[in-house]
Amino acid sequence: MLKMTHLSKVYRTEVVETYALRDFNINVNEGEFVAVTGPSGSGKTTFLTIAGLLETFTGGQYHLDGVEVSNLNDNERSRIRNEKIGFIFQAFNLIPDLNVFDNVEVPLRYRGMKTAERKERIMNALERVGLASRAKHYPAELSGGQQQRVAIARALAGSPRLLLADEPTGNLDTQMARGVMELLEEIHREGATIVMVTHDPELAARAQRNVHIIDGQVVDLAEDPRFHHAVTSARAGSPA
Amino acid sequence: MMHIKPILAALKRHKAGTILIAMQIALTLAIVCNAVFIIHQRLERVQRPTGMDEADVMAIHSIFVGLADNNAGPLIQADLQALRQLPGVQDAVSINSYPLRGGGWSTGVRTDVDAKDSKAHTTQYFADERVLATMGLKLVAGRNFRADEIVQADPQSVPDPSIVIVSKALADKMYPDGSGLGKPIYIGDTKKPTTIIGIVERLGVPWNSVWSDDFYENSLIQPVQLTGPFTNYLIRSKPGQLESVMKAAPAALVKANRMRVISKERGVRSFAQIRDDAYKGDKGMAILMSVVCLVLLGVTAAGIVGLTSFWVGQRRKQIGVRRALGATKRDILSYFLTENLLIGVVGVVIGALLAIGMNLWLVTQFEMARLSLVYVLIGVVALLLLGQGAVLAPALRASRVSPVEATRSV
Repeated sequence: MLKMTHLSKVYRTEVVETYALRDFNINVNEGEFVAVTGPSGSGKTTFLTIAGLLETFTGGQYHLDGVEVSNLNDNERSRIRNEKIGFIFQAFNLIPDLNVFDNVEVPLRYRGMKTAERKERIMNALERVGLASRAKHYPAELSGGQQQRVAIARALAGSPRLLLADEPTGNLDTQMARGVMELLEEIHREGATIVMVTHDPELAARAQRNVHIIDGQVVDLAEDPRFHHAVTSARAGSPA
Repeated sequence: MMHIKPILAALKRHKAGTILIAMQIALTLAIVCNAVFIIHQRLERVQRPTGMDEADVMAIHSIFVGLADNNAGPLIQADLQALRQLPGVQDAVSINSYPLRGGGWSTGVRTDVDAKDSKAHTTQYFADERVLATMGLKLVAGRNFRADEIVQADPQSVPDPSIVIVSKALADKMYPDGSGLGKPIYIGDTKKPTTIIGIVERLGVPWNSVWSDDFYENSLIQPVQLTGPFTNYLIRSKPGQLESVMKAAPAALVKANRMRVISKERGVRSFAQIRDDAYKGDKGMAILMSVVCLVLLGVTAAGIVGLTSFWVGQRRKQIGVRRALGATKRDILSYFLTENLLIGVVGVVIGALLAIGMNLWLVTQFEMARLSLVYVLIGVVALLLLGQGAVLAPALRASRVSPVEATRSV
């Protein structure tokens, strides 16, 4: 589903070159739930933005759903983002001027979908996240957990091949975070491929697999003993 | 146009900015439409023909001093002789006034001797048989005066003439079937008929203000040479010699008789200057209105650029999110263009109504002409295009916002 080989991302200024990712390799299979972990500044978010085609990379190869994406133009990248990828952001990123229904509708409109189909998909997605009754509410009228659920509905409505979640519970309290996480697990059980970036070992422990990044490279989790221990402990305590 | 509903929904939550820009567009449209209409009217007026062949014509205003009575007839004859003998002069005539001079004589004219009301209003010119050649008027029917038909008269007691030359506009007004030639008219309140012996294609009145618009081309020429101390000499130079005649003619008059006043400022003028002086106010008004229009359009465009730039800055993250969710650059560009178009449409609809309302008020208060809807339509299109032009730069900037903005914290 997602395969990066020897991928690198370099930020250049006049005086310095910074490697955000270096010889980065990852392979995520269809139906997997992968947690990408690592300390702050390790390159997690850079990986996510490249995986989501929000940003280009400097070297290496990236195949998404079998397509090598490095030569795609801006319009083609937009189309792939729209059709194949669902984003869940830490800050929810709902559009404050639009109500819940219209927010979920945004990616479907860019796909040029007919009104009736859009409506059906939006209501299905909202029902799935338990917010069908809030369709006419504005984001500011919802709790953080509800806003993230709307964002998940927005990501799901387009039936993407891949869900990319960037610290999806980072802005939520424990109870709301648990609810959102359970929702992601449920979505995964229904067959979705999920790549979640997090620095929370408890969340990472609930994913099928962990990919740990340090200094822009994938490393064995054992190389970060404290995090490894935290994940292992969380797994041991987890009912799953 | 697939984004209209969410754009409207977003605009509803930004009412203040939206209403301000829409009202600015509306007011600009209303003012610019009426101003352009007035400018166009003024420019049409400026270009109005007098019926004269104006090139190579000049005028001298002379006032004899020290005359006991209105007996300047022989002096005027001597002046004309001196002028006509000048090498560069083709012809010259003494006349009470001429088109665009600003002052002259006017009266009512009837075709029915017993009618209480006049059928038309007209200006009266008094001149000899050389007037047609000097002014360059085109005789379209009948004949010119003969020298023996010219009478000299005190301006205080001009006798009713037995013959007259009229402009075609006046002839047609008096006899609408085009049969005016040879027919009688009654000038002023006289019972004595005056026969139309000639019709000139066109001859304007001396005034150029709104009150004379109704009878702008109604003129008649009586075969009379006035003998008062005030007289105007119209002089036609030979082609290309106007400049030298303008120097020689006043000198010749002074040489013929020093007891006269020729004003320095307006005493000697080419017809081009006369036209220029006559329409100075109209031209000034047109320039002022044009400047006001340009300033208004500029301010409106700047307002649109400013508000859109502010909105783009404010929605940078939102644009990034839209891009992340699949919007192409073109989608973002079209979002802002459509948003501006929607505000613009509301503005121009209100503006069109305001423009018509403003014109109706001007019509009732200042007797202005009715605003043609063509001006409103052109104004609507121009304002919408101006809006789209003004929004283009900030919209293009918005379209260049990277989708990665979606992942950045504010």
